[in-house]
Amino acid sequence: MDFFVLSVLKALVVAGALMTSLAYLQWVERKVIAHIQLRLGPYRVGPHGLLQPLADVIKLATKEGIVPSHVNKPFYLLAPFLAVSLALTSIAVIPFGPEIEAFGVRTYMQLTDINIGVLFLLAISSLSVYAVTFAGWASNNKYSLLGGLRAAAQMISYELPLAIALAGPLLIAGSLSLREIVEAQQGVTLGILPRWMIFQPPAPQIFGFVIFLIAAFAETNRVPFDLPEAENELVAGFHTEYSSLKFASFFMAEYANMITMTAITTTLFLGGWLPLFPAEYGSNFVPSILFALLAAAALYHGLHPARRKDRFSLPVVALLLAAAAALFLIPIVQTFLLPLFWFLAKAGALMFLFIWVRGTMPRFRYDQLMSFAWKFMFPAAAVNLFASALLVALFAR
Amino acid sequence: MSTEHERTLAAVHQVAAERSNGSLLCATQPHSDTLHFVVDRSAMRAVTGGLVDHLGARFLISVGTDRRPLSGDFGVLHIFSLDRDHLYVLVESPIPADDLRIDSITPVVPGAAWAEREFQDAVGVRAEGHPDPRRLLLPDDWPEGLYPLRRDFPYNFRPPADDAARPKLAGAPAGASVFPMGPFFPVLEEPSYWRLFVEGERIVGCDTRLFYNHRGIEKLGDSVLTYSAIPHLAERICGICGFIHSTCYCQAVEKAAGIEAPRRARYIRTIMLELERIHSHLLWLGIAGHILGFETVLMQTWRIREPVMWLCEAICGNRKTYGMNTVGGLRRDLPDSVRPELLRVLAEVEKEVVAVREAVAGDSALHARTQGVGTLSEETARSICVVGPPARASGVAIDARIDHPYAAYDEIRPRIVTEEAGDVWARVVVRLGELAESIRLVGEGLSSIPDGPVCAEIKDEIPPGKIGVSVVEAPRGEAIHFVLTGGDNRPYRWRVRAPTYPNLQALPAAIRDGNIADTPITLGSLDPCFSCTERVETIDRRTKAVRVFSRAELLKMCRARAKGGG
Repeated sequence: MDFFVLSVLKALVVAGALMTSLAYLQWVERKVIAHIQLRLGPYRVGPHGLLQPLADVIKLATKEGIVPSHVNKPFYLLAPFLAVSLALTSIAVIPFGPEIEAFGVRTYMQLTDINIGVLFLLAISSLSVYAVTFAGWASNNKYSLLGGLRAAAQMISYELPLAIALAGPLLIAGSLSLREIVEAQQGVTLGILPRWMIFQPPAPQIFGFVIFLIAAFAETNRVPFDLPEAENELVAGFHTEYSSLKFASFFMAEYANMITMTAITTTLFLGGWLPLFPAEYGSNFVPSILFALLAAAALYHGLHPARRKDRFSLPVVALLLAAAAALFLIPIVQTFLLPLFWFLAKAGALMFLFIWVRGTMPRFRYDQLMSFAWKFMFPAAAVNLFASALLVALFAR
Repeated sequence: MSTEHERTLAAVHQVAAERSNGSLLCATQPHSDTLHFVVDRSAMRAVTGGLVDHLGARFLISVGTDRRPLSGDFGVLHIFSLDRDHLYVLVESPIPADDLRIDSITPVVPGAAWAEREFQDAVGVRAEGHPDPRRLLLPDDWPEGLYPLRRDFPYNFRPPADDAARPKLAGAPAGASVFPMGPFFPVLEEPSYWRLFVEGERIVGCDTRLFYNHRGIEKLGDSVLTYSAIPHLAERICGICGFIHSTCYCQAVEKAAGIEAPRRARYIRTIMLELERIHSHLLWLGIAGHILGFETVLMQTWRIREPVMWLCEAICGNRKTYGMNTVGGLRRDLPDSVRPELLRVLAEVEKEVVAVREAVAGDSALHARTQGVGTLSEETARSICVVGPPARASGVAIDARIDHPYAAYDEIRPRIVTEEAGDVWARVVVRLGELAESIRLVGEGLSSIPDGPVCAEIKDEIPPGKIGVSVVEAPRGEAIHFVLTGGDNRPYRWRVRAPTYPNLQALPAAIRDGNIADTPITLGSLDPCFSCTERVETIDRRTKAVRVFSRAELLKMCRARAKGGG
């Protein structure tokens, strides 16, 4: 098939999936946080609030878009555009699976495999600092300015440990292509552990992983590092003066950044689309077993007399889950759904961690955050890099 | 009466006599715990300074009274407390109606700053030598020379509004810029305006404007309502501690009139007051968590708090406005049917509070945000006369339940919880400790509550011209009610001081040299409760001039915008 048509098709699929998951990530977050806090969360719009994201999108899109008269208009308008487009761009180089063959076409489950994928990601994430800085500066508002400056300082500071922690996997894989990095994680070590970067001898990147994850929290401005938008002291930080879709853009960018960050972490440290254990030990059946168990649980709860409200919906869910379990047993489907399953499972687990932390941590103070970055994260990342380099030089190959 | 108590009385008399230098006009003891001195106004500063210096008296509040219908003059009364000696000391000066001046005592008692500005606003007695004599409680467009608490000022008179008026606020010191916090700000549940002067994110000073929504409750009390109607209004002074204000008022009138509330009523008051403390402290803990961006604490503590509110509803039919207190006791008894429910809820809340305490106490991230933040030294706390948990967190061991026992606190003795550090964390620890203590007190009160009537029979009219001072330890600190009885079945003067009043005065000291990010939690840690204003500050981009828009301009702008179809 024509390369151009194929690329457009892939882009449409990825963009569609990304936008939907963006909207639903927010629903998942609200639900998880609600249950941590013993609440129900969204419940009114659709069953279990499932249509809430749609309602939110409609609400935000139809709000009056106010441009205050005192703003620096070009930069004020550029900032949200920049934020959301940069956040969505980085997904282009993430590999979701290996090379597959469908309908007689061989292709990678990735939008584009550029040979400097890692550098591309770093470049894009550095650029996104401009979005918040512009927003803060152009708003001509003290809260926005403080929020924007905090964001700039925070993102630049945490980019250092982030980049240094990311050098570890590059060192081991010997490549800047994200696909090749994943492929370098194939196999088993010590007889049982997967050869993911966090376990891979001779230099397991477990510390690098933790440092990268913490820096990722800061890069995405999430609790406990959500100072740029700390509502209690800065109203809404850099997006104080934004409304309607312009506000929605920042909101989307935050969630898109979360998705990108979890995807990168999965790719670099957790073996990307590779299964937890090799196919010869039966990893191909894991999704089927998992979905079957979930179906059984849903059915059990659906038939439980105490869940009268859900006596129709839960069996339907059980049926869908059982269908998914059966789907994963079809060999042709397995070739591209299995990698996707493993990739999404790992990224989803990380995403849950992001949300979980929000439910269990207060916000840090700005100076504490900066001293944490420079006095702990940066040295730790550097030590990790040197140790890894030494181990690789001494023992590798 | 112990000899120690007599010694104290003698010491107070001696200080008053020496410091007044012959101008002590009258010294009486209206109640066993109250000493009342009348001194010439020229000696006021000396006498009050002597009380503070020699006897460690703590300033409570000032009362300015227009006494022209009675004696043809005005009166300024400063109320002090000798906490360890369980004594109130009232120092009063008559002010001739044709020369309304008195020496300010703020130079010797810094905690009196707002109280003096208040009587200056309300009755027009000028405090000479006050370091900051600006308006405090009247709106900025209130005409000069119009004093709402004077007797000839009708309660329903509304002076014409002047929409061009603006608050007189200090400008930023050289090198600093202004960071406006309020009047509407996400972290303030109620509006107030704090103008912070910052260098970078460090705070070098602040100015403030409050009291825009002054409701004139004291005026209503001495011009429209009756003795037994006021408790229902007093209950509505605060959005959380309603029972505290109604109890405090009733006790003040009971004291002035020599009425003794029955024991059972006193026990029920104690139980209700402690229930209020439990739900207020839980509410506060949630808000503190919210301010720190820790929403889970907010959700959990408010969930724990809810059954206590239901309990109040089961007792009197309302979550917050109870309508139970009246002069002489209570209007309704504690129903026996709620007893098992009360015990069950208490046991439940106690279990949950222990869990919350363990979770909060061990959270290192919370320590990082609260320890060493918003510190008030013991010395500052004493000089600004801070009350309640903020005072106890700074090592000032005052608690009205112990210092001036009321209701049934003479039999159900609370343990005082103090901390030394004086920072936000210390205030958290103090409140968590008091929570456990309150639960114990309610249980103790329930088990030892006597039978009997809940309201004293009042046969005679309440005599005019009597003074009653009552202090109740609210969750935020002590609430003070002062009553001077009058004719017409209503007080001649009713003065209320809520605990937030002195505590807010301590905020500038607590946030100084701190970080903007610490200001909300420092303010929150004082557990403030205040009113609102309807003005905003904007900056004109062309002239770079800071200016405050008035209400009329804002309205005009809104309308112009609406017409423009924007």
